Amino acid sequence: MTWYRNLDWVTFICWVILTSIGLIAIYSATLGPVSEFLPTNIQGNFAKQSAFVGLAFCAMVFIQFTAPRTFEQVSYLAYAFFLLLTISTLFIGVEVNGAKSWLEFAGVRIQTSELMKVATVLAVANFLTSRRDITAVRIGTALIATGLIVVPAGLILLQNDTGTALVFLPLIPVMLFLSGLPRGVSLFMISPAIIGYASLIDWYWGLILTVVLAFMIYMIQKQPWLAVASLIVSIMVVIAVNVALTQVLQPHQVNRIEAFLNPQSDPQGAGWNVIQATTAIGSGGLLGKGFLQGTQTQLRFLPEQWTDFIFCVIGEEWGLLGTGTVILTLLILLMRFMGNAVAIKNPFTQLMFVGAVTIFFTHILINLSSTMGLMPIIGIPLPFISYGGSAFLANTILLAICMNAYYYQRELVVFGKAR
Amino acid sequence: MATSHQQTQHLKTSIRILQIVVATMMVGLLFRAIQLQVLDYDEYVPVSQQNSLRQEPITAARGTIMDRNLTVIVENTPVYSLYVTPSDFKPENAELLAGLLDVTVEEVRTRLAKARAYSWHRPSRLFDEVEFEDFSRVEENIWQLPGLSHQIESKRFYPSGVNGSHVLGYLSEVTEREYRSDAGYRLGDKAGRSGVEFTYERYLRGKTGQEYKIVNAYGQGIGPFENGERDVEPIKGQTIFTSIDARLQLLAEELMKGKSGSLVAMDPRSGEILALVSAPDFDITRLSGKLDRPYWRTLNTDGQGRPLFNRAVTTRQPPGSTFKPLMGLIGLRLGVVSENTRVFCSGGYFLGRLYRCTERHGSQNLEDAIKNSCNTYFYSMMHQIVRQHGLEVWHDMAKQFGLGRLNYIDIPSEDTGILPDSLYFDRAFGVRKWGIGDMINLGIGQGAMGFSPLQMAGVASIIANGGNWVQPHVVRAIEDANGVRSDMAARITKIDWLRDEDLAIVKKGMRRAVLEGAGRFYVNIPSVEIAGKTGTAQNPHGFDHGWYIGFAPYESPTIAVAVIIENGGFGSISAAPIASLLIEQYLTGGLSRPHVKNMMLNFVPRSSEVRR
Repeated sequence: MTWYRNLDWVTFICWVILTSIGLIAIYSATLGPVSEFLPTNIQGNFAKQSAFVGLAFCAMVFIQFTAPRTFEQVSYLAYAFFLLLTISTLFIGVEVNGAKSWLEFAGVRIQTSELMKVATVLAVANFLTSRRDITAVRIGTALIATGLIVVPAGLILLQNDTGTALVFLPLIPVMLFLSGLPRGVSLFMISPAIIGYASLIDWYWGLILTVVLAFMIYMIQKQPWLAVASLIVSIMVVIAVNVALTQVLQPHQVNRIEAFLNPQSDPQGAGWNVIQATTAIGSGGLLGKGFLQGTQTQLRFLPEQWTDFIFCVIGEEWGLLGTGTVILTLLILLMRFMGNAVAIKNPFTQLMFVGAVTIFFTHILINLSSTMGLMPIIGIPLPFISYGGSAFLANTILLAICMNAYYYQRELVVFGKAR
Repeated sequence: MATSHQQTQHLKTSIRILQIVVATMMVGLLFRAIQLQVLDYDEYVPVSQQNSLRQEPITAARGTIMDRNLTVIVENTPVYSLYVTPSDFKPENAELLAGLLDVTVEEVRTRLAKARAYSWHRPSRLFDEVEFEDFSRVEENIWQLPGLSHQIESKRFYPSGVNGSHVLGYLSEVTEREYRSDAGYRLGDKAGRSGVEFTYERYLRGKTGQEYKIVNAYGQGIGPFENGERDVEPIKGQTIFTSIDARLQLLAEELMKGKSGSLVAMDPRSGEILALVSAPDFDITRLSGKLDRPYWRTLNTDGQGRPLFNRAVTTRQPPGSTFKPLMGLIGLRLGVVSENTRVFCSGGYFLGRLYRCTERHGSQNLEDAIKNSCNTYFYSMMHQIVRQHGLEVWHDMAKQFGLGRLNYIDIPSEDTGILPDSLYFDRAFGVRKWGIGDMINLGIGQGAMGFSPLQMAGVASIIANGGNWVQPHVVRAIEDANGVRSDMAARITKIDWLRDEDLAIVKKGMRRAVLEGAGRFYVNIPSVEIAGKTGTAQNPHGFDHGWYIGFAPYESPTIAVAVIIENGGFGSISAAPIASLLIEQYLTGGLSRPHVKNMMLNFVPRSSEVRR
């Protein structure tokens, strides 16, 4: 059988599409007419990103020729290595935009937290699959798995990079859910996030959802105590959100939430980003204003338009054609991964696929919701598209490992059964 | 293995659930994109255009104002304003800027705060009318001051030296209510507040132009939009041709300096105002641009001088003896006297008490009585008028001369003055609390009557032009940007009760007043035949007010003048010399009596107690 028959072409083509769109958008956002208003180091972003794309492609090829079991075997080692790097970043890291997340090697800056994500997914998957022969899910196992996720997240939080730290958290319910945690409990675990979002919009939405979720959890699990616990926790979340909004949060944080709920209340201040982002996307229309023609982009109305707000650039210059392509390609990629997770009956691989999906999907959801005005703005890059060498490299490595699993799926399944 | 199978099944189901969740949310995001880009497209396009397109209004230059000889008396001069975009301006630069502009740092900070409150990203005016030296200093250092820009605006400029504070009028910044209204004003625009500038505001304003500029998020202009094809040029305000004679107005202003009073000179044939001065006046150049607060405050708190008060059209002063020519016309028309009716003046008129005359004039006919300003004659006449015809008849006849009513001059704050009828007396004094004494006092222009110099100039004009009331007006014509000129149509009304033979008698009396009467000292000049009448109005609060009305040349008058010098004493030595100088200047183009001018420039009021 020739090599290209087994290659995961769907995933690869998705990667090519997303990377190309990303490069085009980064070019427009940093080297278009707008470059006149940008500092020179930003103007170099396109070249840097291109270099990282090349590097990532090499890494992808290399990974493709690696034995499939390797990743499972090196997962703990990688986890420990990158954990050490993350810790050292805390001390010897370079601070950019207030976050101390970068390590500098020979003039190249690496964001360790991005690679930490990959290592964490592999390590947690390895840990949970090594315990899966035990039929009942033990609380101890769940706690250690949670710890594996929370420790790096905490370190990244200490680096003052809230956005990246946030991405780790959804791994907990999803990974545990996959490895046998009862569904009701998993729902219970993610319910605070849902309730919290609803409570931001209005407290009674929070209350309504509280009741609905408690009822659902009871219907799934048939355990009254869990439903009651859910009810209590949810109500506490509703109260906590309201207390936080009125008492705890700093005014600029409240402003940001206020800006999401009602951007026009302060169009020059906190609402600025929301208004400019939605305006850029909305004014793009069906086919967009054309490459390098977006007024919002080229006249510098968008904040961070080469990273967190890259989707606005695509939306403005390429319209629904661009945004639709991005969303659908990402959807195909995620579906492909989950399809592979079902098809490749190797527990580690399955958990790894789902872990990758969780990481990617969290980025996508937060980024797109932020830029399209569906939630308060949280600065987080869009996978494969936003500028950011480390993130691009890390995401591509994760994707490549998944492609590797697909390529060697027979081997993995055979070994899986033998185990 | 059952558990393993169960586990596999569990995993499969779990992934299916995840797939549904992920797919649902991604489709949700896609729908959001569709909502933004397709459904709300029409809503966002204008927002993005407004964002990057700035519609910059270009203020139109205000119209020029000319005098009757086409001398420019009001035009515009460029001023420099500094604008700031707060988001680009570094607060620590406030000190540097303050140093360059020679103002306090606090002032810069206060203005910056105001600009910030207005908009963070858009430029707003930080300092207007910056002195050229200061402006050039700032421009030299502009590279150190990001966020600062300038605009050239204009302010009023008075090249002929004519102050015309009450006839041209001052400007001030529009109020919040004005720029919020749909009148088309913007914050910082200036509008006329008095005089011609107020009345003809909508012609003078011009039409604001629009310039479309592409701007970036920092408010920096990047260039014109569609090569400026959509730009609208501003249209300069219309040119206003006034009837003011700049040289006459200048002389009048000079002569009125240091005095309290006012004067009006007009063309009796048409009602065109040649000069109009109210004193004390104010320096119009200080009220033509940015508000000079301390100066504005002194103007408003000067309760004695009241420089903003336009005495020429608003004041109400008893006209004194200048009312006598009109009395003569009424008396003749009503038949209470004829040309030859003689009244013997023995120093007063006795009616219950003695109504005093200035001296014993002996036997007087009307001409003599006007020449001598004999009170006895006019007391007698007024007595007969109210006895035979009643006060109302007298009132109605006088009213046709523009007294006690508006004359519709085209500058604001005109007053009707007071021309009493019985209703007025009932109101002012109470029903049956007034009597014949109050009425016969009116015969010599005293008591419950009060007119402005504008109204008295109107009376002089009517006598001079043969009995036509003319609407006084400052503006002769308006010419728009295309050169289309529209002339003002002033109203002229023939006063039907006037007879030419009566007018001839009164005019002769007025001529004789100049040749032989109180006018012989300062009004009788060889080059021009002037006819006029002095007046000295009693003033319980100080020296009497001096009045003069007159016209010239006697045969076919082209100028009529009314002057009042408040607290000036005798009209013959206060108002009359000024009137004569004005007439001489207007008709001969120069002054033959520098000593009279000097006397009036150094005028010292004197009591008129002795002679009355």
